Amino acid sequence: MRALLAIVKREFLSYFFSPLAYVVLTAFLFINGYVFYAILLALNSPETPRTALMSLFFTNVFYWIFMMLVSSVVAMRLISEERKSGSLETLLTAPVGEATVVTGKFLGGWAFFLFLWLPTVLYSVVLSRYGKVDFGPIAAGYLGIALIGALFLAAGTFASALTKNQIVAAILSFVLILAVFLAGVFKELVNDPKMRDALAYLNLIDHMEDFARGIVDTRRIVYVASGVVFFLFLATKSLEANKGR
Amino acid sequence: MLEVQSLSKSFYGNVAVDEVSFSVGNGEILGFLGPNGAGKTTTMRMITGFLSPTAGRVLLDGVDVSAKPLEAKRRLGYLPETLSLYPEMRVREYVKYRAELCGVPRKQVPARLAEALATCFVDDVADKPIANLSKGYRQRVGLAAALVHGPKVLVLDEPTVGLDPRQIVKVRELVRNLREGRTILLSTHILPEVELVCDRVVIIDKGKIVATGTPEELRQRMSQTPGLTVSVRGEIAEADAALRRLPGVTHAARIGAGGETRVILEFERGADVREAVFREVVARGWTLLEMTPRQATLEDVFVRLLSSQTAAPAARSDELPPAEEAEPAAPRAEEGR
Repeated sequence: MRALLAIVKREFLSYFFSPLAYVVLTAFLFINGYVFYAILLALNSPETPRTALMSLFFTNVFYWIFMMLVSSVVAMRLISEERKSGSLETLLTAPVGEATVVTGKFLGGWAFFLFLWLPTVLYSVVLSRYGKVDFGPIAAGYLGIALIGALFLAAGTFASALTKNQIVAAILSFVLILAVFLAGVFKELVNDPKMRDALAYLNLIDHMEDFARGIVDTRRIVYVASGVVFFLFLATKSLEANKGR
Repeated sequence: MLEVQSLSKSFYGNVAVDEVSFSVGNGEILGFLGPNGAGKTTTMRMITGFLSPTAGRVLLDGVDVSAKPLEAKRRLGYLPETLSLYPEMRVREYVKYRAELCGVPRKQVPARLAEALATCFVDDVADKPIANLSKGYRQRVGLAAALVHGPKVLVLDEPTVGLDPRQIVKVRELVRNLREGRTILLSTHILPEVELVCDRVVIIDKGKIVATGTPEELRQRMSQTPGLTVSVRGEIAEADAALRRLPGVTHAARIGAGGETRVILEFERGADVREAVFREVVARGWTLLEMTPRQATLEDVFVRLLSSQTAAPAARSDELPPAEEAEPAAPRAEEGR
């Protein structure tokens, strides 16, 4: 457990020593700030139907592009960097299992991912000064971000375990994340109602719309949790497989 | 205590390590010697559990590395050949991180940290980022990190590679100081290092052990026929013939020039011809300038072992090929100069 915490802490802090983190952080805040402003403008025009602002903030197309891109970029270095530099050897010969290493790295990356979203909490604080804000759905929205982010980052962690090239890891993780995302979108293309239902269960857009409306459905949480476990399991296996190489 | 039992490893059918067995006792430093590509690093990676063996097993302090990896690794300190630390961390942070990773109890961390930093002489740079350190310092930081959890077994893969001579001396001194209560396996391809640091040597080539023993034993085993270099003043053409006639002498070669004559003698094992040589020289009225026993260096042993390996791959460690077969005497006389 202490070993796990040590890995999480090192992983989280190491982001702040790389210029990449600041580039991501800045771009993230800049574009999110613009999106927030654009939504605000749109809602201010008289013909727009009345909607909760933050729920739009959590479900617009920029949100999804961001989630996928940022998760890939945050996850790409997790394991591939250590494999490239050779420090994976010292890490794996320490008395920690591969599963602990993978979990620790995933959690460290996830913590940084959540940290990126932290400043956006200010948006709702700003809103609450000018009008009535229902914090319930907003909290649920952030829960949705955390969960879907976890799923994407787990996929990215697996991609990062497969290669020592960070760019390859990023591309691979983007492809994996896109596949996870599209699996649910395919429901629109299927006629068979049973198949439609099954795919709808995987549809992350529906997930996020529910969360943004303040609906916390345990099925969604189970789906994400099992996805995370699945990808982390694959990452662990790919590290273990290297021993026999 | 480290035991390696018929360890083998193949990569896609290529045998990298073939039935390697040896053991290292407590307080002992074993040198693991071999040319590049002999299988040293692969063997060490199997010992440390980074690679799993195709066959055979490794016992670290009695614990099987494959069966109980976590328990075994807790007893292990490892300095890999391509040491890579996290450059953004400070020395103290990194060693502390390793202590936490290796499960040092929270209360003991500060004491262990201070001890490891002091033992490896890196306390003066403890608050510097690793990125700013020289290679010698980094190597010692790596060693401090390998030591911080108090391992019983230390595995050091080429710890002095890429260091300048002063740093090499420092790291060797450090390794010798660490032997107390520990088992140390040190790989190297630098021969003098073995003689300076190690108690015992295992020589490996093409994945197989070709010899084991103390540096002294190996030298003796290889110093086939004992030799003696004798110098006398003046250019004396009959010097080699005269000394050749002494009882016990099997071979004499003269390489004299420039006002003195130098004769290289070989004699039967067990014979001591020094007194006879002295009397002969005095009786003939020559002036003895030098009389030096020729000792095979470990380098000779190494070169001979590896060259005989190519000739006779079946050679076992305890049945070294006789020197005369491996190499004719004449070139050796040349080497003696």
